[in-house]
Amino acid sequence: MAIRRIEVRERVMERNDTIAGEVRLRLGEHGVPALNLVSSPGSGKTLLLERTLQDLGRELRMAVVTGDVQTQNDADRIARWTDDLVQAVVTGGACHLDALQVSNALEALDLDATDLLFIENVGNLVCPASWDLGEAAKVVLFSVTEGEDKPLKYPKMFREASYAVLTKVDLLPHVPFDLEQAVAYARAINPALTFFRVSSIDGTGLDAWYGFLRELHQSGGSMRWERPTGQGVGAAVDARAGYA
Amino acid sequence: MHPPRCPMHEMSVALEICRITEARVGRDSLPRVREVGVIVGRQSGLEPDNLLFCLDALLGRPPFAGARTELEVVAGDELSVSYLEVDDGDPPH
Repeated sequence: MAIRRIEVRERVMERNDTIAGEVRLRLGEHGVPALNLVSSPGSGKTLLLERTLQDLGRELRMAVVTGDVQTQNDADRIARWTDDLVQAVVTGGACHLDALQVSNALEALDLDATDLLFIENVGNLVCPASWDLGEAAKVVLFSVTEGEDKPLKYPKMFREASYAVLTKVDLLPHVPFDLEQAVAYARAINPALTFFRVSSIDGTGLDAWYGFLRELHQSGGSMRWERPTGQGVGAAVDARAGYA
Repeated sequence: MHPPRCPMHEMSVALEICRITEARVGRDSLPRVREVGVIVGRQSGLEPDNLLFCLDALLGRPPFAGARTELEVVAGDELSVSYLEVDDGDPPH
């Protein structure tokens, strides 16, 4: 036998990251910012998108790519609120979307007629953190029914995200959830993380979320939403409804 | 200690490792692969035992004729295919 060793030195994510770079370039050429929404299952990604399309749909043209392991139920729910295209990706078992799936989904979208792109990832706080989809930013959602220590349990996702949306805040009077503790845990992992706190049911905090989306659109995806400095979390919450 | 499993995340990474291996074999017309060297960072979000379990399952089948995986666990979040060990067979007499 003649055994020899071939050096490879190829990152496993190399191909995905190359395609993600192409997606990012393509979206950039059309001035379309993309937000990659990630969370555990049931945190309220779909409902936040439904509400956003309902309230902001006349103002901004928003396309959505949804990923689910099975069914296109989420895409069907979202499509009720928009005439713009909603692309469903059924991953058939895979625990995350990858850049190639997003690239293929873009083929069906008219990017010149799109102001914002939402990518609703598979509900999972582990795997989607590793896969770049070509987004402008990851937005991690977690609900007040999930526990304050989610950021400590899933640090990679909170490190990768630029924005965090605390959802279901209408339930705060009914659940033992310490908002400031949750924000502190998240900022311990990622000090630059910007928080929104919303209820897609009663509308709390959605004005701040919509303000962010408007500014993101106007900037073509290049903006960084700055939080006020010199204010504690509590003060910021008081000063700006829905914003922690 | 749980027995190794093959969760979807590790399986998707293992499939990508196999794709990289196949691509390199095709590109360089390599002979039979005996061993695949993989570097896994402890912060890569992967469970090394589970990844090894998935790779053993995939590399034990065609087009890989029972190739082994050599996993090197390192600090950080690196995840890469480091080398392929191939067998050129017996030299012609």
